Amino acid sequence: MNVAVPVFRRSRTSKVVDRLMRGVLWAIALTFVAVLILFVGAILKQGWPVLNLGFLTKMPETLDAGGGIKPQIFNSIYLVVLSLGISLPVGLGAGIYMAAYAGQGRALRFLRLCIETLAATPSIVLALFGMIVFVQAMGWSFSIRSGALTLALLNIPVITRVTEVSLLAVPRELKEASYGLGATKLQTILKVALPYAATGILTGLVLTAGRAFGESAILVFTAGTNASAQFPDFRLTVPGETLSVHLWYVTSDGTLPDAREIAAGTAAVMILVLLTLNLLVRLVDRAIRRRTR
Amino acid sequence: MPQAPEVSIAAASEGGYPVLEDGLSPAGAGAPAFKHSRLQRLADRWAHLGFLVCSLLVVGLIGGILYFLATRGLAAFLPMAGNTGRTLSFSEVFLSTDWAPSSDRFGILPFIAGSLGVTGLALLIAAPAGVLTGVFIAKMAPAWMRNLMRQVMDLLVGIPSVVYGIFGLTVVLPLVSRTWLADAPASGFAVSALILAVMIVPTIVSLSTDAFESLPAALDEGAQALGSSRWQAIWRVLIPAARPRLLTAMVLGLGRAIGEAMAVQMVIGNNPQWVALMRESTDRAPFLRALFTPAATLTTELVQELPNTAAGSTWNNVLFAMGLLLYLLTMVLILATRRLGRGKEA
Amino acid sequence: MLTPTLPETKPIKLSVRDMAFSYGPKKILDGLSLDIHAERVTAIIGPSGCGKSTFLKCFNRIHEVAADVNVGGDIQIDGVDIYRGGIDVVDLRRRVGMVFQKPNPFPKSIYENVAFGPRLFGVKDRATLDGIVEDALRKAALWDEVKDRLKESASGMSGGQQQRLCIARALAVNPEVLLMDEPCSALDPIATSKIEDLIGELKESLTIVIVTHNMQQAARVSDYTAFFWLGKLVEMDLTERIFTTPRVQMTEDYITGRFG
Repeated sequence: MNVAVPVFRRSRTSKVVDRLMRGVLWAIALTFVAVLILFVGAILKQGWPVLNLGFLTKMPETLDAGGGIKPQIFNSIYLVVLSLGISLPVGLGAGIYMAAYAGQGRALRFLRLCIETLAATPSIVLALFGMIVFVQAMGWSFSIRSGALTLALLNIPVITRVTEVSLLAVPRELKEASYGLGATKLQTILKVALPYAATGILTGLVLTAGRAFGESAILVFTAGTNASAQFPDFRLTVPGETLSVHLWYVTSDGTLPDAREIAAGTAAVMILVLLTLNLLVRLVDRAIRRRTR
Repeated sequence: MPQAPEVSIAAASEGGYPVLEDGLSPAGAGAPAFKHSRLQRLADRWAHLGFLVCSLLVVGLIGGILYFLATRGLAAFLPMAGNTGRTLSFSEVFLSTDWAPSSDRFGILPFIAGSLGVTGLALLIAAPAGVLTGVFIAKMAPAWMRNLMRQVMDLLVGIPSVVYGIFGLTVVLPLVSRTWLADAPASGFAVSALILAVMIVPTIVSLSTDAFESLPAALDEGAQALGSSRWQAIWRVLIPAARPRLLTAMVLGLGRAIGEAMAVQMVIGNNPQWVALMRESTDRAPFLRALFTPAATLTTELVQELPNTAAGSTWNNVLFAMGLLLYLLTMVLILATRRLGRGKEA
Repeated sequence: MLTPTLPETKPIKLSVRDMAFSYGPKKILDGLSLDIHAERVTAIIGPSGCGKSTFLKCFNRIHEVAADVNVGGDIQIDGVDIYRGGIDVVDLRRRVGMVFQKPNPFPKSIYENVAFGPRLFGVKDRATLDGIVEDALRKAALWDEVKDRLKESASGMSGGQQQRLCIARALAVNPEVLLMDEPCSALDPIATSKIEDLIGELKESLTIVIVTHNMQQAARVSDYTAFFWLGKLVEMDLTERIFTTPRVQMTEDYITGRFG
């Protein structure tokens, strides 16, 4: 049974491979940093010459150069707010149900499956659904209301998930203390659990808003590629082209002589808005962490 | 997505609601008799129903999307009310490469192949890069780099697809065409896949970082205590141990890639010219050229042609059938992640 | 510092001089000096939180995997400082094996667990590997129990078997020192006694350092015992002396159960 155990020496190759792979991993990671910087840099650089007050406050042109993006900015904000207004109650309700009422069994697993499926459904598929139901069957045509309702479908799974996760993170002792005082389940959820989870839900909400703001496939087929000639136009029945749709439309349509510049400027505006939102989330996050420490 | 902890409000309230009996004061005589008003009790009972309705709405949506897409998509194959188009056979749609809607020929194989091709290529780049970045963040990077990478990934995932598209159109395409193709147009699989890869990498990175962070520290220590180098421990122990969750990450990345429409539509060329190239080409390796030849996918074709077709026409029906296919694919992928998840526990 | 006084025939394998350990601003070990002899079992005892596990992990620098730590003073193996700049940590860990508190087999087959180490160092030949695996499993007194199911997953074994597998896994790379960090704390009494018997056999060819919270275990298996308290070495001596005639009152109080 006495086996000649070889002398285990660390081979040169194993050392070299280790060095090499450490280098490779650093290189891959730094590549993504570089890609992001390059990306944001290029978009801002292209858009910078176009960005001025006139661009942001003028109405768009249909055939001539020099148009602005005023109604598209309005429509983007309006549609994000409307779609969040629709999806927030549904998402909150479903999230609360999953965290507090669904138990741990089959029902919860099935609900999770549905939420995940909805979250993974391509936006172009949601667009088709919105087109069939709201645009055609309801006869609402390409309009703010068709767009807002379909966009809400994109938000619902995200809000549901973030609500569920935030509620599950509420310490058990807090809930038990509330029950111990004789609070009903609803009171415990509304007055103890939700306020505790509010910051988490709020962060998720800002991220959802960012996603809705950037969405285009859904809105091309439900809110349309035209903006109202009035400003501001709060009517739900008129088409409502957003910034992202405008960016896509001027690029692929090609009737505007300055389509390139308009697209570059619009992209820069969108990047700036998203950077701001991201910073906002980070600040909120830091404030929360400082408070809970 | 991070796994939720196994706590629930329901569990905390087991044993019924702590409701006080009418007229009985817990604090003895003199203290006011606290009790919930009728309204509060009613609210408590009915709130349950309200939350349930919200959840059922989500379940209903899953079914509703399937139903409405099926009524339009299946109209291509089955005689249905309100259908003005021709009834096609499955094989002339799914097994034919001949797409000429104006001549009444509806083979969508080029788009299926296009979707699979561009998604496969994107995954080929994003999966290794994403998993390695995940292990880098979880097991190698110093704290400052970890934070930086998290922020980079957060930003990359937040950039809208049209902005990715415009970047591809105005930066990547001209660059590739100038550098490698002697100014010939560069639209096609290669550039689309590159853009898509960057778009899906954050998904893969964040899920695989979670996968590596949730491995017990004892595995890493055990491997290194035997004399593994940093990389040997990663390659021989950590990656195999995290495999089910890494595969889930890739499947979800794949789902995102196959459903992406706008960014790809802006750079892919929107015409399956590569099919003709492959068929007619005489050289032995036309693949490389095919990568830089215009192509189209299920999603890009939808974006491109849906606005130009009349509801109920054969062409329109086939486009909805493509949408239905995408939706069914999503469901299959989600079910696949469940399978993978179950494998993890075994 | 008090050192053992019996004439010792075995050479000094590990020597620690004025060593300190801190984790961030927190000082965990301070002013430690002791010698560990080859082919002896040295037990480290002390109340939880006294730094005994931390001390053990300094010998193979495994704590560096998880966190940024600071080690001061001098730790030598065969007279070579293991914290010196030029030392290859990976090679050090090959020479200084470790068995952890909880069994931590890899999610692989029994065979692959034991073959893992040799494979790291480039052993590919099947017959050689088979030989090393069998030898290591025999040394860990596990061969007879698992020889017919080497291809099965290690996660199907009992806790005691898993721990002996981890010992076999460590032995397969032919270490000079074996560090054992409360190796029996997760095991039942029968599995524990098997491991203790094993320690007696292994010291024929290995230097063993074992951290334990179980004083009977220290008395049973070790030749030397060191008593730690609040990050300092209180007393180190031959085990029989520590347990019969300790020189420091605090040691006596601890082993007789008056505190800790």
